[in-house]
Amino acid sequence: MTHGMALIAENWQLLLLGLRATINLAFVTLIASTILGVLLGTLATVRAWQVRWLIALYVEVFRDIPLIVTIFTIFFGAPYLGVPLEPFPAVALGLSLWGAANGAEIVRGGIQAIPDGQREAARALGLHAWKIYLLVLWPQALRNVLPAFTGLLALIVQSTSLGSLVGVTEFLKAGGLIIERSTVMQGINPAFEVYGFVLLVYFTICSVLTAFSRWLELRLVARGGAQTVRAPDTARL
Amino acid sequence: MEFELDYLLRQWPALRSGLMVTIEVSALAIALSILVGLVGAGIRVMHVPVLSQIVVAYVEFIRNTPLLVQLFFVFFGLPAIGLTLSLFWSGVLALTLWAGAFQTENLRGGLASVGPGLREAGRALGLNRLQYLWLIGLPLAVRISLPSMLNTGVSLVKNSAYVSAIGLQDLTGVAFDRMASDFRAFEMLTVLLVGYLTLVLTLSASVRLLEHRLHAPFRR
Repeated sequence: MTHGMALIAENWQLLLLGLRATINLAFVTLIASTILGVLLGTLATVRAWQVRWLIALYVEVFRDIPLIVTIFTIFFGAPYLGVPLEPFPAVALGLSLWGAANGAEIVRGGIQAIPDGQREAARALGLHAWKIYLLVLWPQALRNVLPAFTGLLALIVQSTSLGSLVGVTEFLKAGGLIIERSTVMQGINPAFEVYGFVLLVYFTICSVLTAFSRWLELRLVARGGAQTVRAPDTARL
Repeated sequence: MEFELDYLLRQWPALRSGLMVTIEVSALAIALSILVGLVGAGIRVMHVPVLSQIVVAYVEFIRNTPLLVQLFFVFFGLPAIGLTLSLFWSGVLALTLWAGAFQTENLRGGLASVGPGLREAGRALGLNRLQYLWLIGLPLAVRISLPSMLNTGVSLVKNSAYVSAIGLQDLTGVAFDRMASDFRAFEMLTVLLVGYLTLVLTLSASVRLLEHRLHAPFRR
């Protein structure tokens, strides 16, 4: 046990490198899923049913296919299309497509939670369709969706661990490397301590985010905001 | 790159055994996770000291850590403390622990909504707390929580694909092994897409149907 702890302390640089990659991956994914999610989620509230149907199809497909399959498909499938991808962009793309599906659901919920009167009043004032969104709906939806997006960020952080399977040296992979090295060079297997430590670090990051999400939600309810939009269930990861 | 049906048919036996592994792992883990959920929710609702806090910590821990790391911890980490499980049972255990946390929350929500009146009625009839839980609380709670419990089950089937990461030959494992050895991507990716969409959509459609049936007495 003490050996494992010493090993973790010895390799802090590698672990820090991994943690940085995890944070980078989560950050890139968050930005991309937010942009794509806002776009898709907004389109999911328009009147044309064909558009709404297409978005619903996209959301359903990316939520129902295991994320591991999506990422493998992009990483191993890209060379067949003549565009080989490095591990990092491949994982970022896979996570973003999945994150966008969840983000779209949140944004759609956030816009639909705004009372109809707002949209009607804006239309009565003669505002253009895009101005209704820009000036009336989005600013109000932003408040509604903040807690859920914070929750989504916790899910994204968790799902970046899949990067280790296609060769991104993120936090889980860094832990794996330490175990491998110690097993080969010293004949000692510290998997219990190292993976235990990795679990604890993820737990710390994600509980802070989850707690923050809950706090935002409580504050929103206390200030009499429109119904809040629930964060996507972790079980849907 | 063309889609070759011949090739796909030749791979069918391997894919079928992969699909069976996916179904077996999922079915076992769903059953066991419901047991975990029943025990966990029972402990929470009866406010058993110490155990109740342990259940809360367990649920929070599972929800805030990646399933993949949990799986690695079970498969690579537990042998170090003398608990060596086969690939298959490592997968079942990790998925059970993961889904068990969600089933605990689902059932706890159900039990909470049963209401204090019935609990008092139970006590008036001379039932102790365990008898109340078993004879009144849980039968009603299961009915209320069934849709969310089954949704957790559907997610579990989807997430059983993670077990391919430790080398278990489930549907995902078989398909990606074949892709790597035969350099044919298109057929296998189609199988995965169709396979998982069919599994998940069939299951969630039956959940919706069941939900509809269960709500029958409360409609009109």
